[in-house]
Parts: sequence; C-alpha cells; structure tokens
Amino acid sequence: MAGPSNVIRVPKPSPSSFNMERLLVKNSLLQNQVKHFLELEKTLPPEKRTGTAPGSITTEGRAAEYIRKMTDILHPRVAKSGGR
Amino acid sequence: MPAGLDNLKHIVVLMMENRSFDHMLGALKKQDPRINGLTGTESNLDTSNEPAKVQPLAEFQGQLDPDPDHHFPAVHKQLYAGTTGPPATPSMGGFVQSYHDQRKDVNHSRQIMYYFPPEKLPVLTTLARSYAVFNGWFSSIPGPTICNRAFAHYGTSFGHVDMNLFYQKTPFLSIYDRLLKAGKTTKLYYYDRASSTMEIVNLLKNQPKIFATFPQFLDDCKRGELPDYSFVEPNYSDHLGEGGGEELASDQHPDHDVQAGEIYIGQVYNAIRQNPDLWKSTALLIAYDEHGGIYDHVPPPSCLPDGFTATEQQTGVPGQPFPFDRLGVRVPAVLVSPWIPKATVVPGTEDPANGRIFEHASIPATVTKQFLGTYNERSPREKAALTFLDLLSDTMRPDADCPVFNFA
Repeated sequence: MAGPSNVIRVPKPSPSSFNMERLLVKNSLLQNQVKHFLELEKTLPPEKRTGTAPGSITTEGRAAEYIRKMTDILHPRVAKSGGR
Repeated sequence: MPAGLDNLKHIVVLMMENRSFDHMLGALKKQDPRINGLTGTESNLDTSNEPAKVQPLAEFQGQLDPDPDHHFPAVHKQLYAGTTGPPATPSMGGFVQSYHDQRKDVNHSRQIMYYFPPEKLPVLTTLARSYAVFNGWFSSIPGPTICNRAFAHYGTSFGHVDMNLFYQKTPFLSIYDRLLKAGKTTKLYYYDRASSTMEIVNLLKNQPKIFATFPQFLDDCKRGELPDYSFVEPNYSDHLGEGGGEELASDQHPDHDVQAGEIYIGQVYNAIRQNPDLWKSTALLIAYDEHGGIYDHVPPPSCLPDGFTATEQQTGVPGQPFPFDRLGVRVPAVLVSPWIPKATVVPGTEDPANGRIFEHASIPATVTKQFLGTYNERSPREKAALTFLDLLSDTMRPDADCPVFNFA
C-alpha cells in the first residue's frame, strides 16, 4: 500500500514528558472535567458514589484515578470488558 | 454528485485541544503562499511596550506553563487590546499582555507568540499539505473548551461562554441523537476510562451506549465496522493505563507534550488509511477546539447571532454582554480523504471574493446534510454554518500519493 517515498517517520516524545504528579491547577480543562464529574456524582444514589474527597484530587494522576471510577459507574460495559 | 461524495459512508472528527492556527500551521505560508500563515513580521507589544515578534521557537512542552488563559475576559483582551472593543475589528494585539497577567514575567509572556517550524510537526503539516487545509476555520466562541466543543456536538452552546457544566435544551438535539432517531449509527470514542469524555452529563450519563474507547476505534477501523459518524477524543491526562503502563496525554493542551498528540493524530489517520475499503469511503476532519490563549494573526469575523445572549456577568467583561455574533480565534483544521486534490487550500477571510468561513457548528451541519438531509430543528448558527464535503472530488488519488506514518 505504501512505498518508502510516502512513509513519514514520526519521532516519539521524550520519556521525561510523562508526569502524573503535574498539579491539577496547571490544567484548567482537567480541573473542569473533574469538577463536572464531582457535580454529577452528587446526583447519584449514595451506594453508587465513589466516596472520593474532592480535596484529595490534586494531581493529574489522581484526577485520572477519580475519572476512571466515575467512568466505570456511568459506562459499566467498558468497565466490565477491561477498558475496551 | 462527485464520485468522492458518492462513495462516502463514514465521517470521522478528531478534535484536539487548545492550539491556534498560526502556532501549528502558520509556518506553512513559506512553503505555499496561499496558506494564510505568518510572514514573520507579526508582533504584539509586551508590557514594556517592546514589540514581541512571532518566532519559530515553539517547544513540545515546557513553554506554556501556566496554561495560557483562554476564558472569555482574557480572550477579549487578546483580541481587542488597543481598541474600544466590539464592534471594532479585533487588533489581535493583546496576547502577550494577557499572558503576562498570569506570571508577571515579560520574557516568558513573549513565548505566546512562538510557532512551530513544519519539521517539528510532521503529522499535522504533512496532512495539511497532502489534503485540504482551511484558512478560515474559527472556534465558535472567543472562550474556552466546553462551550466550543458544545458547538461541535449540538451546533450551539445554549448560551454558555464558559467551562461550567451545562444542560442541553430542546429543541436542539445533539448530532448523535439526530442520527440515532433516523436509524443511523454513531459513536463517541474516548481514549480510555481514566481519560473519559468532556461530554459528561448530557451524553455519557444519559446515553452511555453511544460511547466506546480508542482501542475499540482501532478495532472498528480494522474490521471495517465504523459507524456513519464518529467523534474521537484524545487522552486528556498523563496516567497509568489498563496494563499499568504510562499513558501520555495526547490532547496537546498546554503543557502536555505536542509530539504525543502528533502520534495520536497519526494513529487515527493510519487506522483509516490502512483499511482500503474504509479509506475510500471515509472523510476525516482534524480540528482544534480553540486557540488556548496562543497568538493568531487573523481577526475573527462576525457571524449570525445564535439566538442566545450571555450577560456581562456571564462573560465577565464589564459592559460586554455577548449575543454570539462573532467567532473565536482561528484554529487548525484539516480535511483528509483520498478524494481531495493534493495541497488543497480552502481560502478564508484573506480572500473576500472566494473566502469561506467555517466554525465548529459546521461539523453537525455537515453530518446532518450528509446523513439526514433536510433537518429544521437546529440553532441559527448551525443553519448558517458552511459544510465541507464539497471538497471531495471525482478522482481518487493513488495509494503512492497518500502518506502513511511510521512511529519510530
């Protein structure tokens, strides 16, 4: 399908780019995504809530952990299939 | 009807985060003067009244920290510095001063003018030069992500100009609802469970069935089972994946690594490109939701009001309610299909006679036109939005003429 002339090589990012400890306050988008999930969680019945303390979500890694829990609640099919 | 449109079965939209046209594609003007990019002389005054010129010094990561402000008041300053504000034509002169407001560091604030040389963005610039690049695709609102993405999903933000959670109001259904009601197929693919979607309340909570993950997208492409319309979201955070490995954010939102986003765009493209049946029957649009506070030189034009008005309390700019009558800052947008003539440049505001203005409401407008035909219950902005599938021609380009990406 593709000969050598139309193959474009794309370099990989530096391994040092990854930073789960990046502070959440540095990313307004992720902050608001968390905020929306927190607001939505308040509308869920108590037995379905994650019990996550909002103040504990301070880094990207922690935001992702919380978002994973909420996604599993809202989208259980993907949770059951191991993320597919 | 052109053969390209006759063959079209699938539309895929990949929406990235927070980069302006000039920041990502402005350097292409030197390769092709039809592309409305940078001459190299554009500048803003910094807070010491010295001109800060555009420079090809953008880095993948580390320069745009903190995240440049792109909420309504900051964008107002970026657009209207040195003017009396609307209805004056935006000066595009306040980007450096706006960024200075955050860190109070004059040298740092000048980096908001930096742009990428094409060789640093081999995926986006190759696609832009190989298929169709839009000189005049603007974000829908001079503001942040959520309200801009809403225009891609609903053709309106229901009067919102901010990041707050909003609720869909009838009669404007999402493009997904419209398709499902008509018996068509559609999916929103988010990256993984820990990244999820930005459409949490109206769609994920109420319609989880229309969601799937990026691995599912790759499988659907491989098996030729893409729905009629797909919307793909990038990874919004650095986190550990399902198997414990490192998942690098691919959204290109500052200060995430731009190279990771390049790979993600390339993966989406390759997945379609490598299935011959899918390749000839799919149009892929890559667009950015908004400019993220980063410099662009083209003043956003006025547009048809949307039937909503955000009050001055909602805009956060004293004396400035917003009737949704002008667009936000210009963003990169590229349409990919083997039916598009190589190096197509769609003119924008630089060409008053032939220029065409697109915004995110053009997405549901195009999908509606292609799969539903006449459909009346849409926002004024969506009804007025231009559609883009007329760029597909009668001639399919040979394989050797269409790039493939190799992630070394």
